[in-house]
Amino acid sequence: MTAPPLARVTDSDVIRESLAEPEAFAELFDRYSGMIFRYVSKRLGPEPAEDLVGETFAVAFARRRSYDQTYLDARPWLFGIATKLVARHHRSEAARYRALLRSPQDGPVESPAERVAAGVSAQAARRRLATALAVLPKRDRDALLLYAWCDLTYEEVARALDIPVGTVRSRLNRARRKVRAELGETNPLTEEA
Amino acid sequence: MDDLTMLRDLGRELENEPPARLVRQRERVFRKPRPRLGWLTISLAALATAVAIAVPAVIADLRPVLHGIPATAPRTAMNVLLVGSDTREGPENARYGPALSRTDAGGRSDTLLVAHIPADRTRISVVNIPRDSLVELPRCGGGRLGMINSAYNAGGVACARETVEKLTGLRVDHTVEIDFAGLKGVVDALGGVEFTVPEDISDRQAKLELKKGRQVLNGEQALGWLRLRHLGDGTDLARIKRQQALMAAMVGQVKRSLDDPAKIKRFLDSAVRMVRTDLDPSVLYTVAGSEVKFLSVPVGPHSEDPNRLRWLQPDAQKLFDKLK
Repeated sequence: MTAPPLARVTDSDVIRESLAEPEAFAELFDRYSGMIFRYVSKRLGPEPAEDLVGETFAVAFARRRSYDQTYLDARPWLFGIATKLVARHHRSEAARYRALLRSPQDGPVESPAERVAAGVSAQAARRRLATALAVLPKRDRDALLLYAWCDLTYEEVARALDIPVGTVRSRLNRARRKVRAELGETNPLTEEA
Repeated sequence: MDDLTMLRDLGRELENEPPARLVRQRERVFRKPRPRLGWLTISLAALATAVAIAVPAVIADLRPVLHGIPATAPRTAMNVLLVGSDTREGPENARYGPALSRTDAGGRSDTLLVAHIPADRTRISVVNIPRDSLVELPRCGGGRLGMINSAYNAGGVACARETVEKLTGLRVDHTVEIDFAGLKGVVDALGGVEFTVPEDISDRQAKLELKKGRQVLNGEQALGWLRLRHLGDGTDLARIKRQQALMAAMVGQVKRSLDDPAKIKRFLDSAVRMVRTDLDPSVLYTVAGSEVKFLSVPVGPHSEDPNRLRWLQPDAQKLFDKLK
């Protein structure tokens, strides 16, 4: 008689298995390489993102022994590693956001059709946002983008960046205040009520 | 529309779909990892600096029991190259790692620190040179582009000295080599070190079994403690803190042994074996009590290999020029 199959093998199970069977770690790559690619492509563009995905999982693999297996979901851990690797490209990241300012009509990526309908105001908002992102201190930007672009909770951002939750909260508040100020400066109508 | 919604929209705009060839990156996962800062580098840097500081501090305390050290040693400015290694070679260290990792010429890392000791001895500047720096090696190191620590592996301390002199433009007056493994003998010479172990430890890699609580660690156990990786949050920072705690306990142990000249002599003899230097011990006496300032060479990823480091110029040169 065999045990009933588990509904889903958790990430921490995969990591635990990979301690004895290193090849098992590939499962984590198959689960999340696309997700990490999407995140990094937003921040650095598609070319550096490919390489960085490989690096993220290589670092994760090398550090798998120190993974805290009480966390079933490895995503914050992986996002955290990728975020630290993104830091090495901070110049190209800032340049990417600044490029949005210079070419308001065509971004570095093709806009989906529905964006066209949104019209001029969306373009203007995008430029103001890009300005804000380009000048945010790196630590604040990391917290903000992990929260907004990776949909992590405060606790997960804290795990990813290895900082206390209170610090996440203050960084996020500061970052969002600056973003709102930038949006408000050029168009008070977009400010939150 | 609130700022987060707008930010998410921007994210969607900037996002790219993963290409099919992304799967190629999968192979990289299992390639031998080459972390930019290995745990050994960090722990050795911490250890080497701890020793560099602890030794003068201990000698200052030993003032009443030491004889034959001139009260006024020469006080000239000098640059000292500090090399920390964890050779794990020889029967003494054989059990600490598989044979391959012990003998792999390029595998055992070292720590490189340049200390500038000014003539007035007020403040010592210690510059940490990352071992992953990819540099043009002199002939003794193979005469090609290579990792700076391979100079030491290839040609010993003489080659490390030549490499550092060539790269920094500094004159290196003296060298100090510290062998991590020698710490075992130092602890045993003290009759062990009294230490509080925060939790039960059973670690196969460090060959360490300890019960929680206050106890006297022998040399073997102390070395195991220093090499321990998987404790606490498993970070390098946590390990450095553990090492510093043991170093502090050792300084305390020496202070308590001051009234036992025979024990102090054994301690000094073993400490001398752990440290190989052409530096006159009296110099250490003159630097006891100096302030120490830590600096790092400014670095960025290397164009030849992003896992290796390149010194950022002109900032790196400016840093070394200040030490002239």
